Amino acid sequence: MAIIEIRNLSKTYEYYKKQLGLWASVRGLFRREKLYKEAVKEINFTIDEGELVGFLGPNGAGKTTTLKMLSGILYPTSGEAKVLGHIPWKREPKYQKQFALVMGQKNQLWWDLPAMESFILNKEIYEVSDADFKKNLDELVELLDIKDILDVQVRKLSLGQRMKCELVAALLHKPKVLFLDEPTIGLDVVAQKNIRDFIKQYNQKNKTTIILTSHYMEDVKELCKRVIIIEEGKIGYDGDLVSLIEKYAPYKVLKITFEGEGVKEEDVSNFGEVHQFTPHSITLRVPREKAKNVARDILSSNLPVDDILIDEVDISDVVRKIFSNNQIKK
Amino acid sequence: MKKYWIIINNEIQRQFAYRIGIAAYSFGNIAEVIVMVVLWSIVYRNIETIHGYTAKEMVSYLVFAWFFSFLTTTYAFEANIAKDIQTGALNNMLVKPISYLRYMATVATGRILIALLIVLIQDILIILLLRGRLIFSADVSKIVLLLAMLSVTYLFNVLFSIGIGFLAFWTTEISGIYYALKVLRNFLSGYYFPIVLLPVALVKINLFFPFVYTAYIPVQLYLGKISFAEGLRGLAIEILWLVALYVIIKIVWRFGLKKYESVGI
Repeated sequence: MAIIEIRNLSKTYEYYKKQLGLWASVRGLFRREKLYKEAVKEINFTIDEGELVGFLGPNGAGKTTTLKMLSGILYPTSGEAKVLGHIPWKREPKYQKQFALVMGQKNQLWWDLPAMESFILNKEIYEVSDADFKKNLDELVELLDIKDILDVQVRKLSLGQRMKCELVAALLHKPKVLFLDEPTIGLDVVAQKNIRDFIKQYNQKNKTTIILTSHYMEDVKELCKRVIIIEEGKIGYDGDLVSLIEKYAPYKVLKITFEGEGVKEEDVSNFGEVHQFTPHSITLRVPREKAKNVARDILSSNLPVDDILIDEVDISDVVRKIFSNNQIKK
Repeated sequence: MKKYWIIINNEIQRQFAYRIGIAAYSFGNIAEVIVMVVLWSIVYRNIETIHGYTAKEMVSYLVFAWFFSFLTTTYAFEANIAKDIQTGALNNMLVKPISYLRYMATVATGRILIALLIVLIQDILIILLLRGRLIFSADVSKIVLLLAMLSVTYLFNVLFSIGIGFLAFWTTEISGIYYALKVLRNFLSGYYFPIVLLPVALVKINLFFPFVYTAYIPVQLYLGKISFAEGLRGLAIEILWLVALYVIIKIVWRFGLKKYESVGI
């Protein structure tokens, strides 16, 4: 069943041009040039119950804008969206009680008080019963292992501990839909892994529908079967994470080592695109369909080959490449 | 509603976490009232009355206007609203099933309670200290009416602060506007001196603004310069202004959100 449905959703921001210099600033007091930025352009997708979808894209691609529209913080410029049958930007309490948004860069906890006080307030705001509150809290505290920090002022917690508390605050009302915007940002690898493991377990156990954005490929590799790549406001890819490689990495990687004297760069450059070179080991990029032939050619040439390995491009590299080269083609 | 009580509770705890927090504001204000009392005492040295105010009435006016104003201040709550808007912390509230306006009005109230207690003790001490120069005139019905007026004034101030804070939707920096409005408001409300000292035309115009009803009229009532019935009328007008302000704030909020949504902070 589709929990989230988005049709032709667009969002254009207004902003003002600020020219350099003092005189321009003075002029700007009276007349400003209004500019528009299309942050999200006619995107479409649907997400089913219990899915955990990775939302990827470089900074400013429109990920957060999309999540904000789905949370009802922003009105779209055009298009439609339905989450759990509600139009998010109507901000109906009935919808608000069924989802949660966690932003790694912003916190909702009361900074000067122990996290527990914020939990209790959320309990009242979301009208969670005493019994459910206790049950959910115990479960979350157990899963995240934060029993001993509940009565510490939030400001005194480490970033990782705070993120865990943020997650608890967001999940106490058992949302059916969860939007996670960079939940692991700024965390060390151990803390990242803890949060990741938690999200995974929580999703499996509660069948919560989750959209996750992250800059860390590890998060995505670990958690998401399906990814949606958004770039310059458009969806460039929507599908399985594994098929991403086939689509966007039309090559394979040949890792070859040489014996004895080794080789010179010009000896190997006509076999394919040389990626890394030392006289004793090279990495070549060759078109997917030619990989076997090139390997055979190298082996049968008079180069002093010691070993040869045909490999897929690493998925992180694929995504990195997509982000850095704006290479998404429709 | 329990959630509002918890918000107040949290805000009081937060004030404790900061030890004195905003209560620190109140200490500097003792200096302010002393300056005003000294100044007017000098003015009255060779004069019997000014616009019907004897020296004792004038000093009483100033001290009680000062006292009432600190019982009803929001301690620059504008800044909290503006910060929510500028930093995007407002997002956290927009996704929750609770009204931001009501939430913040509750936060504002929890925030002042400790300071209110300190101000009350401190100001009563000052009033006792100056007792020889003050007029004490209150009966039960007057005190009840005054409390009602001051409660409405407080609510008015909270809404006004929230409204000024909402300006942050359009301009990122509100401290200048806040300061200018604060001075203007003090002037119009009769906080600095009784507004009858102003030219008649200005006084008449001023009666069309809500601010006289937040300070001048209550003090007049206290000093017995207006009748109980006139006081009641003042309260009625003040309540009307409160309602009007609420409507205005709602409209400003709606437009502000539209702007917020189009800029996407």
